[in-house]
Amino acid sequence: MDEIIARSNIYALLSRILLQELDDEILETLKNDPTVLEFFPHWEAWEQRKNLPNKEILEEYLNPDFTNLSILHLVPYETFYTRSDQMIETGGANPVTDIYSAYDFLVDYEVARVVSADHIGIELEFMHHLCEAQKKALNENDREAVTELKKVQHHFLNTHLLKWAPMYLINLKYEARTPLYYDAAETALEFILSDNETLSVEV
Amino acid sequence: MMYLESRRTFLKGTALTVAGAAIAKGVFSVDAAAESVKASKFTNTPDTLSFYPPLDQWDHFQELDGTDWKRGGINRHGVQSEENPDGILVHDYMVIPTACSNCEASCGLTAWVDKKTLTVRKYMGNPLHPGSRGRNCAKGYAVQSQMYDPDRIPFPLKRAPGSKRGEGKWIRTTWDEAMTTIGKKMGDTIRKGDELSRKSVMYHIGRPNENGFVPKVWETLGLDSYNSHTNICSANGRTPSIHFVNDDRTSPDWANAKLIFLNSSHAADAGHYFQQAAGMIADARKKGAKMVVMDPRLSNSAGIADLWLAPWPGSESAIYLYLANRILHENKVNKAFVKRWFNWETLMNDSEYLNYMVEKTFISKLPAGRDFESYLELLKDMYSPYTLEFAEKETHIPAYKLEKLYEMFIWAEDAISTYVWRATAAGNRGGWMNGKSVFFVTGLVGAVGNIGGTGWYHWHDIAVGGKGGSSTVGQGKSGKDVPKVKAWNELTWPPEWPLSTYEMSFLLPHLLSDKEWQKKWNDRGLQVPSKLAVYMPRMYNPVWINPDGFRWIEVLKNEEIMELTVNLSPVWSETNWYMDYVLPTGLAGERHDQHSEATLPARWTSFRQPVLRVALEKAGWKPKNPARATLEAHIKAGLGEVWEENEFMFDLCVNYIDPDGSLNIKQMWESKRHPGKPVTIAEWYDAAFGDNLPKLHETVMNDERYTKEEFPVYAYMRDHGAWLEEDKIYSVQERELKIEEGKVESYEHKFDAASMSVDGSGIISAKDDKGDTKKIGIVVDGKKVQGFTTPTRKLDVYTQWVAKDWKWPEYAMAIYPRNDKEKEEMVHILSHVNHVYMKEENSFALNTVFRLPYNIHTRSANSKHLMEISQNHDPIWISTGDAKRLGFKRGDAIRVRIVDTVSGLESGHFVAMAVPTEGVLPGTLACSHHGGRWKLTNHVTIPNGVTDGKVATGVAPRDLNNKEFLKESPANVGKEGAQTIIDNYEGTTGLNSFGVPVAEIQMDGKEGKLKYVEGIKPFHTERFAEYNRDSGNVWWDGLSGSWQNAVAAPHPDPVSGMHCWHHKVLLEPAQAGDKIGDIFVNYDNNMKVYQAWRDKLSRGLDSNSKLRRPKHIFRPWVKLDPTSYDVNIKG
Repeated sequence: MDEIIARSNIYALLSRILLQELDDEILETLKNDPTVLEFFPHWEAWEQRKNLPNKEILEEYLNPDFTNLSILHLVPYETFYTRSDQMIETGGANPVTDIYSAYDFLVDYEVARVVSADHIGIELEFMHHLCEAQKKALNENDREAVTELKKVQHHFLNTHLLKWAPMYLINLKYEARTPLYYDAAETALEFILSDNETLSVEV
Repeated sequence: MMYLESRRTFLKGTALTVAGAAIAKGVFSVDAAAESVKASKFTNTPDTLSFYPPLDQWDHFQELDGTDWKRGGINRHGVQSEENPDGILVHDYMVIPTACSNCEASCGLTAWVDKKTLTVRKYMGNPLHPGSRGRNCAKGYAVQSQMYDPDRIPFPLKRAPGSKRGEGKWIRTTWDEAMTTIGKKMGDTIRKGDELSRKSVMYHIGRPNENGFVPKVWETLGLDSYNSHTNICSANGRTPSIHFVNDDRTSPDWANAKLIFLNSSHAADAGHYFQQAAGMIADARKKGAKMVVMDPRLSNSAGIADLWLAPWPGSESAIYLYLANRILHENKVNKAFVKRWFNWETLMNDSEYLNYMVEKTFISKLPAGRDFESYLELLKDMYSPYTLEFAEKETHIPAYKLEKLYEMFIWAEDAISTYVWRATAAGNRGGWMNGKSVFFVTGLVGAVGNIGGTGWYHWHDIAVGGKGGSSTVGQGKSGKDVPKVKAWNELTWPPEWPLSTYEMSFLLPHLLSDKEWQKKWNDRGLQVPSKLAVYMPRMYNPVWINPDGFRWIEVLKNEEIMELTVNLSPVWSETNWYMDYVLPTGLAGERHDQHSEATLPARWTSFRQPVLRVALEKAGWKPKNPARATLEAHIKAGLGEVWEENEFMFDLCVNYIDPDGSLNIKQMWESKRHPGKPVTIAEWYDAAFGDNLPKLHETVMNDERYTKEEFPVYAYMRDHGAWLEEDKIYSVQERELKIEEGKVESYEHKFDAASMSVDGSGIISAKDDKGDTKKIGIVVDGKKVQGFTTPTRKLDVYTQWVAKDWKWPEYAMAIYPRNDKEKEEMVHILSHVNHVYMKEENSFALNTVFRLPYNIHTRSANSKHLMEISQNHDPIWISTGDAKRLGFKRGDAIRVRIVDTVSGLESGHFVAMAVPTEGVLPGTLACSHHGGRWKLTNHVTIPNGVTDGKVATGVAPRDLNNKEFLKESPANVGKEGAQTIIDNYEGTTGLNSFGVPVAEIQMDGKEGKLKYVEGIKPFHTERFAEYNRDSGNVWWDGLSGSWQNAVAAPHPDPVSGMHCWHHKVLLEPAQAGDKIGDIFVNYDNNMKVYQAWRDKLSRGLDSNSKLRRPKHIFRPWVKLDPTSYDVNIKG
């Protein structure tokens, strides 16, 4: 049970960081949560984190960096990496749409503020939801569903995230100008690879 | 391993102070939006991209609104439902098939009727249509904008009492009042029973777009006054087919051809059947076919052709005969075909004509023998003057291009499809000879009727729209009991042009005002009408489309010549302005027609339908008056008091022309099921289709969806909208005569087998059911086959009857004048714009005959979509060298003076914009004669006129799912006191506000002027307001060219009767005060031009004549009693 809670939380955490610029509330968590600080050592060590007010951290450091890393300079969408013409598929032919639909998930673009459903933040959040579903199945002692959900997670990782997210995350790490995004990139890369290895063994 | 180890670190994720669910942004919704998509059939990843649902879903088909993609689609919003009101709107459609009517091709359409509002949200193609295959051109999709045109005529209009024609004063009237007045006038005229009366109630169409219905009406009225526009369109294109094979026109097998040989851009660019033809031409080119376009103007087709040839207008025969010369001398003749199907024996056995040929130096000596080889030698002799050098000099096409053409021609073997229709044919005097020459040369290689070759119209056509007789009291099955017409109308078939192909309709106002001409023929024993009791065009605009428009206005305004005028027209036009009644019958999705065209080697028909009526009936609505169902349906749907022609004619004949049956007209259109009442649409078409299309009948009777229907064949056509009776029809002349149960069948006619006889030439004759002996076939290589329908049952390469019986011996074979002397002698087949006539520095041959693919004559000014894409000011194309020489720059206004080369008279001028281009042959100009629409005012006020007793169209909302709505229907439609409220019509209407600018005209009986005073402006309309909410965005002024047709003098071709459209013109700079679009016409001169062409060129009937015209050639529309052909002209 611990394991699934941990996985679910980490997917959620990474999803949130990579999806959109941070807000005050989430910044507070990132600044103060000991687990986060353990995951993100450079962030923990960063002086400004301790000294500057949130507004300044966001407006002068984190948000400009996020804008550079996910909007201006790098492209956090799967189809950019998987299509030969490097176009982001914003229509119905996006390869993740089908799998979301299969589980009755529909991306709410008003909330997500992305141009297509294959954004890294969306795919990570989808993994989070699959973990939540697995957690529920465990609670209900539904072993069949647990096994099935693990298969789905493994499949999704291998057909989507792992196909491209490492490339993005490596670039993210190199391009990051703030310790938070540097650490997030490294953590996310390590985590999805490690999670896949675990799932591969279990599935 | 590293990551497995590090994973322990990640297990710490459990210790996050905030649960993941709270951290995650929560971008997924699994709420109503997602549920709504799941509950629907919609997906972003469909298995196919077909536009069309399967037929079994047409009655109920749901589709997402078009804004779907703009808004991000169901991915973002889900599908609209009660739980998800912000989702993408789903339309609830009934898909009703119909057929386009915006040109003559009759491509399939489907109307997508929105059940919730009973409106047509879009017109798409009909995937079941064999010719158009689910595709349409811009004009097809534009049917919707015509349907919801804010200026469509909302109810029957009548010229205001006390006003004169052309004053523009109108009142609203009822269908009943109009039909009472018109029916009485028609009935009174017919009741007189004399010969003149049978010529005095004239119907006049532009494109009939139906096969036989109205002709049958006129036949039952006993009138010889069905008139068509064909002589301004295609008479010169049809004449060579009639001479060569006695068929109306070619029917090429584009899809299987190796050489697409287009004389003009017509088939691939804009003209006849172009949307269907262009698709099949593209199919052929994909398989490796080559395309040649001959056109002095670089058309769209020429631009993408493998070879573009720009000949001097009318000189094309020189090219064909050059090809013939080489084929003959280089031994490339398909001898098997030529020997089998050319009528060479007829020529070789005609010593008199052979001697004539020698005398005229057509051949240098008499043939050595009468055998086939001698025939080939004769042809070699005859065509040897048509050398490469000759062709180059005459046509102005460089020799290397002509040689290239020959290579392609030979490469294609017998897979050559060709079409001679507009341009050379319609533009030039003698244009028909170009057709005769091309048929000759394609015949030499055997490309006639075969796969990939050029077949014939009547092989590939279905005409049953007038054959629903078994549903009536009096007509009998397929109309067999309808009496034949006993009259010959000189206004449509004048004695000067006994071989004219179709009616000389463009001369109608000239003949009606030419008292001298009338007297001449009356003195010689004919009875020529001097006036018309009723003139009834249908959706036709003769004032604008014909040459010499001011003459039309003069005659239409004259109430002594035109006693009662009625246009069956849903839209405003120049002609309507001069009518007594304008009766709004429907557009493509608002009328019934059986319509078939020869667009491929197969026999298909479409079924045009009033789609809103059909949708209502399918939903369960029943009309109060079954004879006026379409009128009721259109009122119910908010279109206005818009009817259709079929029901109008049924009702007019039964209740207004002959209410007591004393004229034997009522019986013809009275329902057999409900005697006393007009036949209904379902009754008529069930019989018309069912009695005459055996394969369709059999198919329907074996289809359990239809066997329980009251009118099964009608119901099948209602649901499908198209039918293929026979496919892959080739070489019909080779079909053996079928003998069954004592009857022998040839071309679907049956004869008495016992009476069959064979003459010395192998021609088979037999007696028909009336006992008359007819030629029905020919013996070829021992087989009894149908042959062609010519007098020789072969291809009339030598048209003996033209030479011997109808005074044109020099044109019995394909020929072109070989020198200037022959140009003088053979003036009848020399283009009136040949370069020999271009003597002045500033003289040019003006090519007027080409279309824009998105416009068709007067049928498009009511479509905002077509108007928006067709604003080009219709310039004068002039070659860059000529423009430089004369000092014209792009955009300059120039005066184009029209000069007649027969009489030397000048017709006046129009002012147009110069566009120098490399895309036109030097010495020639191009300016389409489809520009220059006009109106005299922006608006007319026609009050509802029904403040008392105004009847609402209904109470329940227009919704096909609403039972209350389906129960309602307006009562007494068309009757006094039952006039309905017209949705959002407040008493004033615009006139083609999207397409036609305002002009001033002046005319004094001899000279006329037109000047545009105001272009189109953005406007607001309440009628169909939602659909026309973009009317404020109009950016164009609509000033697109000059009304050059009005300047044009009539040029009747002496043989075919075609109005030869091209002009000799003199160019000069515009003068002070001239504006592009201005015209000045001396229409007194134009009258003299017509007379000069008539008197100097024609070879009409004389005291030796026994017949009005050859009996064996096609005389369209009504069936004549054989005695009508007899004539006795006093000396």
